[in-house]
Amino acid sequence: MNGSANNRYSRWLYFLAAGVAVFSGMGQMPIMKRYYVADLPLMAWSQDFFINSDLHYLSAALLLGLLAWRLSLSSRVVDQAWSWGPRSAWGWTLLTLLFISGVFKVARNAGVFLDPFLLMVLDFVHLGSAMAFMFTGLFALIARSRAKKRALGPAAA
Amino acid sequence: MDKVFSRRNFLLGGAATAAGLAASKVVLPQAVGAASGQELCTVLDISQCIGCEACVEACRETWQATVPDPVTPMPQPFPQRVPIQDWSKKKDVQDRLTPYNFLYLEHLSVPHKGQEAEVHLPRRCMHCMNPPCTNLCPFGAGRVEENGVVHIDPEVCLGGAKCKQVCPWSVPQRQSGVGIYLDILPEYAGNGVMFKCHRCLPLVKEGKLPRCLEVCPQQLQSIGPRQAQIEKATSLAKEKAVADGSGPDAWRDYVYGLTENGGTNTIYVSHIPFREIAAAIEADHAQRRGPGKGAAQGAGGGQGKGAGVTKGGKGLRTGASGLMHMHPVANSMENAENLTLALVLAPLAGLAAGFTKLFGKKRGAPPAGQDAPPERRGEKGGA
Repeated sequence: MNGSANNRYSRWLYFLAAGVAVFSGMGQMPIMKRYYVADLPLMAWSQDFFINSDLHYLSAALLLGLLAWRLSLSSRVVDQAWSWGPRSAWGWTLLTLLFISGVFKVARNAGVFLDPFLLMVLDFVHLGSAMAFMFTGLFALIARSRAKKRALGPAAA
Repeated sequence: MDKVFSRRNFLLGGAATAAGLAASKVVLPQAVGAASGQELCTVLDISQCIGCEACVEACRETWQATVPDPVTPMPQPFPQRVPIQDWSKKKDVQDRLTPYNFLYLEHLSVPHKGQEAEVHLPRRCMHCMNPPCTNLCPFGAGRVEENGVVHIDPEVCLGGAKCKQVCPWSVPQRQSGVGIYLDILPEYAGNGVMFKCHRCLPLVKEGKLPRCLEVCPQQLQSIGPRQAQIEKATSLAKEKAVADGSGPDAWRDYVYGLTENGGTNTIYVSHIPFREIAAAIEADHAQRRGPGKGAAQGAGGGQGKGAGVTKGGKGLRTGASGLMHMHPVANSMENAENLTLALVLAPLAGLAAGFTKLFGKKRGAPPAGQDAPPERRGEKGGA
């Protein structure tokens, strides 16, 4: 497998992991049943908080693996060469906040005692940075799509 | 609840309170540990419970007024199917958990060795050691204190009732029309505040006893450091098992809460095996819910993850009726605890894969991302 193929596969894995992490993270709020998502065909599981929690862990593990892999190659591969992941300091800051707050939450879930107020702050940091990451990502995708159309000219429209 | 019990309770209530207050001086030093922050556990010897409900009355007298009355009219949540839950007109209900009633008593007739044994037992939050209600609260409203108390911050809670759905006993109860959600998006997010036993946290922080423990005329409850309490419960259970003719090795049958949901800080010890009590509770609850409303129907709002009646799984849900079961309960947070290892190993695996690639590059092949110009590999994909 050459580098390009690796990058393509990792791009899809990244989008899969990020998508599942965002969805299962949203699913930690009691909205899936309230807003009929769980009523959609094959989506009944989405109201189960434990399933969402497991999915969140698994997608976070995949994301961590991918980012660690990318980090390990950073001495040879410039950021611009990657077709996925943050390209700005803002994006990396959000990921770092998600990582730090996530580590504490995982520790709490494993039974480690943490100050209740600290945990509440971390909950809001995690939620806030996840929302910011999601909207920034959506904005980046839309901006990229428009830039592509402009580059191709009127024929593409 | 049977009126017979209520009459007797009324007569016993006064004596119970007086006796409890006097006895509390004896056990007060134990509670001082609460102020020091060590994990405290309660042990309840239910063979001592006479069903006087002094504990219920004391709890209600102390804490009911802290639960606010809802605004009127209450905002109708969107969509319409989201129910408004209002207990403010039913504050007198004390035979189940409600937002205004954190503790109730089960009064049972348990078939045991060919006879009917009268059993009474107080039910309230179990105060799990690793509680899913607080761990999975997305807004940090659920709290676990260093002294083992599990509670909900009413200033932060939005009343989404997730805590109730993930609690194996469906303990937290919602009161709509109160709380911070009224100031945000009352129709579209939240639906009140969840309330439950906080084991008298404000009192415990001052080194005082929880009210239910303080007023009990039988002193059936004790509180103290977890390890000492476990030893006490184990010893007591062995005595009960021997007295019941089962032998000391069967002591686990006479304990409830020690291993439930990964371990709780409320340990019941009984003179009758808990599987028999659990069956009696189930039958009693089915009767109280009325015909055609079995356990499954009572499960409204429950997640039902592995919800086997006898095996426990993640819990048999009877929460819609505000009544707690007493079946074995597997650890709700077990998957999360196990998946922690995956989170630790994943970045290590990623680093190993990357360094292996780099090491291989030195011997020939170019590393990922360098064997073709960046523009051929697509463009920005993330934030």
